[in-house]
Amino acid sequence: MSKKILIVDDEHYIRMLLEETLEELEDEGVELLISSNGDEALEIIKEEKPELVFLDIMMPKMNGFDVCHIVKNELKFNDIYIIMLTAKGQEFDKQKGQEVGADMYMTKPFDPDDVVEKALEILGLD
Amino acid sequence: MTTIRLKRLITKKAVQQLLNELISAIDTPISIQDVTGKWLIGKKLTNPENRYPVQLNDEVIGWVVGEQKAVSVASLLSYLANQELGKKELAKETLEKYKEINLLYKISEKISANLKLNEIAKLIIEEAHKILEANSCSVMLLDEETKELSIISYLERKTPKLFLKLGEGIAGFVALSGKAEIINDVLSDPRYVPGPNPVSSMICVPIKIKSRILGVINVSNKKPVQYTAADLKLLNTLASQAGVAIENAILHQNKLKEERIKSNLERYLSAQVVEAILELEGNSCLIPVKSNVSILFSDIRNFTTKCEELAPETIVGYLNEYFTHMVDVIFNHQGTVNKFVGDMILALFGAPYKMLDAETKAISTAIEMQRRLQMIPVSWIKDNFQTGIGISSGKVVVGNIGSPRHMDYTAIGDEVNIASRLQSIAQGGQILVSRSVYEATKELFDFKEFGLVNVKGKKNPVEVFEVLY
Repeated sequence: MSKKILIVDDEHYIRMLLEETLEELEDEGVELLISSNGDEALEIIKEEKPELVFLDIMMPKMNGFDVCHIVKNELKFNDIYIIMLTAKGQEFDKQKGQEVGADMYMTKPFDPDDVVEKALEILGLD
Repeated sequence: MTTIRLKRLITKKAVQQLLNELISAIDTPISIQDVTGKWLIGKKLTNPENRYPVQLNDEVIGWVVGEQKAVSVASLLSYLANQELGKKELAKETLEKYKEINLLYKISEKISANLKLNEIAKLIIEEAHKILEANSCSVMLLDEETKELSIISYLERKTPKLFLKLGEGIAGFVALSGKAEIINDVLSDPRYVPGPNPVSSMICVPIKIKSRILGVINVSNKKPVQYTAADLKLLNTLASQAGVAIENAILHQNKLKEERIKSNLERYLSAQVVEAILELEGNSCLIPVKSNVSILFSDIRNFTTKCEELAPETIVGYLNEYFTHMVDVIFNHQGTVNKFVGDMILALFGAPYKMLDAETKAISTAIEMQRRLQMIPVSWIKDNFQTGIGISSGKVVVGNIGSPRHMDYTAIGDEVNIASRLQSIAQGGQILVSRSVYEATKELFDFKEFGLVNVKGKKNPVEVFEVLY
């Protein structure tokens, strides 16, 4: 079964940029899944069980913290590695991140090289 | 080169929707295969008769197989693929910018954590070299006093010209104007001062904190390069981060200098007094000034004759023991141990730490020195060391005096000569003082008139008093 990465962001261009960045992983057999909101993301997570999720915090309706909380604490999908996305200059609430069980956070604009490196490491492809 | 994979394109939600609509509209079975022949949609056909290419510009990225009507599916996919390519190229460009932004963030983290000027300069050069097309880079710092720019780090084939006056050459000009410049034809610039390395194009940006110029960054290429406004912007960003880091490093250096002064002062003064002085006056306490002080000279009588009986290491041991006790007494009375010359001690009261009762402190110190000498637990010292002490007071110049390579905190003036002279005529155990010392302390100590004494360089003999204790 192929490894999966889910990208969740309400901003179209961030999804596009992450997709573009991670596209090279498709050569390693990684499947990229995309979602633009929290509800849909949860459905995809339940169905596809991705190994890694890039999850934007600031989203309308269900925000990233809520999604993370459900995945880690209600669904108990503890094997899913969740990287929270936060805008530069916007203080990341570390305590909240820890409470909901986020594994890591990353600021936008992200460094594309760092993203690929981290993804390879988490998927065990490096 | 950016390309589009057909498989990836048709799995996109929006594309899938369009595709489904079209397929149901044309109402005929179709299959899609990628450029390698792999089937992506529809039946796998062993011998497809009609296939229509999906094209990205002129490149075929896959095929739509089916009846005549399938051609419209191929054109739709070609259109979408080209649109996707445009997006991808834009995304790529944005990601390049992301890389640059993150590069700068990383540099700022690296250099702001560094307090060593040379290392900061090296980091700046490394990064400038990475982001711009350059074969030489240098960082110059401006000395505010000499108005001279000097290179603190460089990456060049040959050692460049290390100094420039403010206003001299392009770098000197930029340091003066505070405005960054791109010069793509250096040789025809009249300000250019040729150095050992050939230069065709360069960017020079000032390193500033607010409007204060700290130095410049030079980036150049021996080949003609068209540096752009975007390059200049990047280098300016680097320079602004460099400015903060360099300023911090300079402040840190000054702090270290203060620490050195402190440890220097601690040779002369007790630690508490050093703290008090630095808090009050900072570094300025060492600048020579005229002030009211009491000067105490103490010397061991017939020291050289006594030493002849002993091995040199033994003498040094006894002297160290003796000095340790005497310095302790002087520090206890807030005195400043000015220097040791052979077996002689020169101590000051009232400098660099001002005191109102300097004369009283000097006499108390002298008396305790005489008493302590008798209590040193080495019998040879007790039996053989007898000291004569002379004290005088008045206005003298005190401060760091000497050459830049060897400075000494010391006192200069008539009163210093008088105290020295009094010490030289004092017998073992005797404390002799000048009139000014006597006047200031006559209510507190007992004195006996000693008489008049001639002092070298003084027309009139000075009045001398002996302290009775």
